[in-house]
Amino acid sequence: MPIDNDYLWDGTGAPDPEIQRLESLLGEFRLAERPLALPAEAALVPAKPGGLLVQFPWLPRLAAAAVILLAAAIPFFLPATRLTPAPTGPSWDVANLEGTPQIGSESISAHQSAAKLYVGQTLTTNSSSRASLSEDDLGEIQIDPNSSVRLLQSGPNHKRLQLEVGTIHAAIWAPPGEFVVDTPSAVAVDLGCAYTLRVAPDGSGTIRTTLGWVGFHLNGRDSFIPAGAMCSTRRQIGPGTPYFEDASESFRDALRTFDQSEPGSDAASAALARVLSEARAKDGLTLWHLLSRASGDERKRVYKRFAILVPPPQGVTRDGILALNPPMLDLYWNALDLGDISIWRYWEQSSGPHPSPRPEQLQKKALLLKKSPRP
Amino acid sequence: MNSRPDDALVRAAQQGDRSAFGLLYSRYSRMVHGILLSRVPYSEVDDLVQDVFVQALPRLTSLREVSKFPGWLASIARNRATDFHRRSKPHHEFSEESANEEIDPPPSSNPAAHSSLEAQAALDAILSLPETYRETLILRLVEGMSGPEIAERTGLTHGSVRVNLHRGMNQLREILGDKAAPLTGGEL
Repeated sequence: MPIDNDYLWDGTGAPDPEIQRLESLLGEFRLAERPLALPAEAALVPAKPGGLLVQFPWLPRLAAAAVILLAAAIPFFLPATRLTPAPTGPSWDVANLEGTPQIGSESISAHQSAAKLYVGQTLTTNSSSRASLSEDDLGEIQIDPNSSVRLLQSGPNHKRLQLEVGTIHAAIWAPPGEFVVDTPSAVAVDLGCAYTLRVAPDGSGTIRTTLGWVGFHLNGRDSFIPAGAMCSTRRQIGPGTPYFEDASESFRDALRTFDQSEPGSDAASAALARVLSEARAKDGLTLWHLLSRASGDERKRVYKRFAILVPPPQGVTRDGILALNPPMLDLYWNALDLGDISIWRYWEQSSGPHPSPRPEQLQKKALLLKKSPRP
Repeated sequence: MNSRPDDALVRAAQQGDRSAFGLLYSRYSRMVHGILLSRVPYSEVDDLVQDVFVQALPRLTSLREVSKFPGWLASIARNRATDFHRRSKPHHEFSEESANEEIDPPPSSNPAAHSSLEAQAALDAILSLPETYRETLILRLVEGMSGPEIAERTGLTHGSVRVNLHRGMNQLREILGDKAAPLTGGEL
């Protein structure tokens, strides 16, 4: 079936009997129109505070009573030192999973409930402690021993953590692009997934995605890591080339050598040859990234092998890819079925680091799609 | 029928105009329904459609670029589906092993009470496809949205939607046992 099947695209042209039959069958499951039932008090303010007050109108009175009781009790419980104000503002829930993790200098005991990590605070674990962070609109993050994380930001659509050292396991259900983790060698942008992120004391790191995919970037160097894949990062260099964990050892060794070798060197060329000879169709993930990491003849070699393993989709040309045409690279990425790159581009435009060229690139992309010849 | 552009409706809704939000609901509920149908059991979809819009309303003021509303709403729908599966699983301590379990499996084998066997089989076939394909095909074949409409409503590019429809339909034909001619060099 050619890609320019008009009937499948917009219902015009010669009807396709198979598609018509499916439309007829599947219409049973179509949306049955029903009015939207908004709560009477629903308003355009952040839901949580208002929602609680609507459901529990006695809360303010109870809270006021609690404040009075606490204020009366303070002189009996505090040491005779100057009072420091309790942290306020956005916070995440902290649970002690093992040992005695700390927030700042305060230990969290095993029986302590409702510990909070506020923006600006740091949660640390030693060799025998673990903790978890959670936030209703975000997901859950487990912190392994010997780790240090700092909460940088916790707004309605932007949540940012800094992993200074150690390991976190994240399971995120916030919208793609809403949760970001800073590390010394790259920034991890959640695109709807679960992953493990490690940072070594020297600032280097690895990310391993178990569900969905993650964007990893630093200084204009992007890597996309889908489920089943890994990527390393190095301080001041940024993310390396992602690869699937089930790639052959020879492939992974060669890729590591290529990433660490001087561009254009004999070592890089030899390593690239091994990568290309070992690559499977699935390793199109790696080859797609290598297109922008190789140059000149190396890029031509990468494209040649990539195009054999993953035929280029409609709208992609050899010359365009060799010139790293952004819309064509995006089309080719989407052909890998690893995640829609428009999610990443949406994040870039709304909150990412890339400057103004993106709108012009979008215009070029729109023009390119209009001009794409039909077979 | 109100012909106000979506951007104007989003801005009005951000200012508290509930009727504007209602119009957005009427325009986007099919998209949200289709996204959810591709991810959760059919019996849960209708309620979750309502949930998505109830969740979206209070967060609308934080949407800085109103033109991003379609993709923003689609993301909320997808995450509501993920949340549905997480909350319906028995609670257990998070670990790498549990993270390797598929948290958002395709919602197959959950027949609607009134659907014919053949219709259910067709839906199950679509639900067995990769997530990207199944969502786009459901929007086209179930919800009756055209390719351009799918692109406009979801925020995807025309190219992405076209590829998803084409490849998804090819795979669907194979699953349904269609004896289509093999692809040649002139086709994808």
